[in-house]
Amino acid sequence: MKFLHERLPNGLDVIAEVTDTALSTSIGFFVKTGARDETDAEWGVSHFLEHMVFKGTNDLSADEINRRFDWMGASANAFTSEEDTAYHAAVLPEQQIEATALLARMMRPALREDDFDTEKLVILEEIRMYDDQPPFGADDRCRATFFGHHPLARSVLGTVESIERMPVEVMRDYHRRRYSPANIVLCATGAVDFEALVSSAREWCGHWEPLAIPPRRAPLDLRASHAPTLELITRPTSTLEYAVKMSRGPAGDDDDRFAAKLLAAILGDTSGSRLYWAMVDTGRAEQASCHHQDFLDAGMFATQLSCDPEDAEELLGMIDEVYRGAAEQGLDRREFEQNRNKLAGRWVLLGERPRRRLFDVGPEWAHSGDYRSVADDLRTIENLSLEDVHRVLARWPLHGTGSTVLAGPLPLDPSLETASEAQ
Amino acid sequence: MKQTLHSATLDNGIVLLGEDLPGLESVAVAFHTPAGAVHDGPGRCGLATLSGEMMLRGAGDRTSRDIVEVLEGSGIQWAQSVSTSHSSFAGAMVARQLPIALPIYADILRRPRLPDDELENARQMVLQNLAGTEDDPAHRAMSALRQLHYPHPLGMPSEGISADVEAIGVDDVRTFVRAHGVPRGMIIAVAGRIDWDDFVTRVEALFGDWGTDDASAVAIGNRGERIRFVPHDSQQTHIALAWSVPPYRHDESYEASAALSVLGGGSSSRLFSEVRERRGLCYSVSAGYHTLRDYASAICYSGTSAARAQETLDVMLAEIDRLPGTIEEAELDRVKSRAKSALVMQQESSAARAAWIARQWYHLGTVRSLAEELARYDRLNVASVEGWLAANRPAGLTIVSLGKEPLEVPREVSA
Repeated sequence: MKFLHERLPNGLDVIAEVTDTALSTSIGFFVKTGARDETDAEWGVSHFLEHMVFKGTNDLSADEINRRFDWMGASANAFTSEEDTAYHAAVLPEQQIEATALLARMMRPALREDDFDTEKLVILEEIRMYDDQPPFGADDRCRATFFGHHPLARSVLGTVESIERMPVEVMRDYHRRRYSPANIVLCATGAVDFEALVSSAREWCGHWEPLAIPPRRAPLDLRASHAPTLELITRPTSTLEYAVKMSRGPAGDDDDRFAAKLLAAILGDTSGSRLYWAMVDTGRAEQASCHHQDFLDAGMFATQLSCDPEDAEELLGMIDEVYRGAAEQGLDRREFEQNRNKLAGRWVLLGERPRRRLFDVGPEWAHSGDYRSVADDLRTIENLSLEDVHRVLARWPLHGTGSTVLAGPLPLDPSLETASEAQ
Repeated sequence: MKQTLHSATLDNGIVLLGEDLPGLESVAVAFHTPAGAVHDGPGRCGLATLSGEMMLRGAGDRTSRDIVEVLEGSGIQWAQSVSTSHSSFAGAMVARQLPIALPIYADILRRPRLPDDELENARQMVLQNLAGTEDDPAHRAMSALRQLHYPHPLGMPSEGISADVEAIGVDDVRTFVRAHGVPRGMIIAVAGRIDWDDFVTRVEALFGDWGTDDASAVAIGNRGERIRFVPHDSQQTHIALAWSVPPYRHDESYEASAALSVLGGGSSSRLFSEVRERRGLCYSVSAGYHTLRDYASAICYSGTSAARAQETLDVMLAEIDRLPGTIEEAELDRVKSRAKSALVMQQESSAARAAWIARQWYHLGTVRSLAEELARYDRLNVASVEGWLAANRPAGLTIVSLGKEPLEVPREVSA
């Protein structure tokens, strides 16, 4: 496995992790833009634009793009998050040049108004689809409360209102500013012909005009650093109650982020964790889990619970007790080692799939300008000590803090709402 | 591409399958016992699922915690699932851990304790999962569709029905595991960085002396009604359609599956282009091929807001109706290219290949080589697909809609 990097004169980074034994080639354009880079008037534009990129360029129709991907046998898709917008395709190696060219051309979309109007309907359907699904908006509401005035408070999809009122000019302007070459990473993994990749980049992206990109980091203002909050979203016809809780954790540039992931696994992995044995194994909860997520300038532990509505309050209390117990009594070496091995095993399995590696290598470079091999990550995991995990617990306690949102049949309790508004 | 496949059969009927995947560090193993949901029995829908859960709650000398702690402590990613035909236990790991994993699975399969005092917890776990599916409208629509479309009990939901799960006793579980968790009909598949001879020796030692009973057959009944509306308080209406096509083991399944892929397989498919791209009616729309051993279905799905659901259904039916006689060579070429590319890329995942070779054996009684599988796609042409479609026009559709308002369905869906 080897790593290669070249920067075009206009600032576009071209990187590749080459695996000689791979049977496929994965290619992705990672744009350093997402919901956190939007203003109120642009709310939802990153994700909407991601859809519009598939609607064609001045000389490629949407049908033509879809036909070309299918003709290549590509598994192609895109995603938008708070910090990234990515367009990717996995193909057999003989299609590398074709797939790279198509993705590169798509990065300069026509953004036609009639396509924009039609695709707006699809976006609104996507919003409705998620609104009908668990956790019924509890995640977006929780993020909004937890991050407060920080740009990470913004939900990725936007709202029905923000999408409906958005004119096409807003998207065209956003695209011009954010899809500047220095704000994009072209990443490939698997069976990559790097020379061909760089020459594809020169041919299709070399003429992109570079624009200065404003810095993305924001001063941290997390409400969760204060007293805990609790909000309710009432969905009378839901069967279960869904809870999302966010509390502070190490950010993406913090050396403690691996220890944080190990801590989250010990406390709340979807199997074999403390929450699992306390609530899932016993059939008290459908789900009770915890994971760590890091961003450029912030990090969090996200706890998810789904259970019978009448048990929600008790189980939230139990979760807090599990977290408190870990902080006050510490973790034992056995569970620490079990979970470290589990994490390492997971990394090896994910690492041997080039299609999966794309989503580690691309965003890592986009965020930090660094490359970490699977071996680097494994070494970090294997070198973690029980003390590292205890330090994380002490620096970022999970109990008695955090923003919690419940969604489900529980009726709105005015005292709860007042309590949270007063925070 | 060079491919090495292995197979062996133990005296008690257990079939062992293997595939070398050079270049991988991992190995994946999957145990498929014939204790699928098809054997749940009347009033016991969910018995296979509850039994599978109970098998993990102590086996041989190991407690439920021992099992999970040893598997996870060895970096083994484990999974357990129940389908119509099988109850399956699987693990993926770094190759050197396989000797740790195999005896654990042998205990789970041969020596489950099925303890009284774990039944309530296991039952609650199954009920929690069922309650969760109640909140997933797309899942509910698809589940109702399979239930109506396949002859009883082939379409019954493997996750169970609450009232039935409530009624299951520990003796039901014990009888079920004894009757159906048997060697005959069991498939053990391994793929990745394997040492086949060593694997066979180990499995023989762990499973070879397991005495056999014959697996029991299931009486197949009737299909449900053709049209059903499920009231659900949601913004979107979910539409699910099915009609019968040949199962995988029929040679014509390739024609059927290709035709369905033209209809709704990729982003250049008819349904995606017409329903989503051109009209913006929905976010998700697709058509696909779903097969059991003796029955198979074409299945189409879309979810869209209530006000546009009727138009979505009408356009879907029109596209289904329009399919025979209109398939173009370029469309079929794209379908073939997608299928072949996916097959090759599957070789990068030990877990995907272990599942695939087991599936092939279950359906065909053999494992086709990758070369043969690719050749079957190469042989497809417009004439063969159109020939099959002409003789098998989509008909007798089962249609489920789930949402606030029922949809109008044409009386005779010629489609």
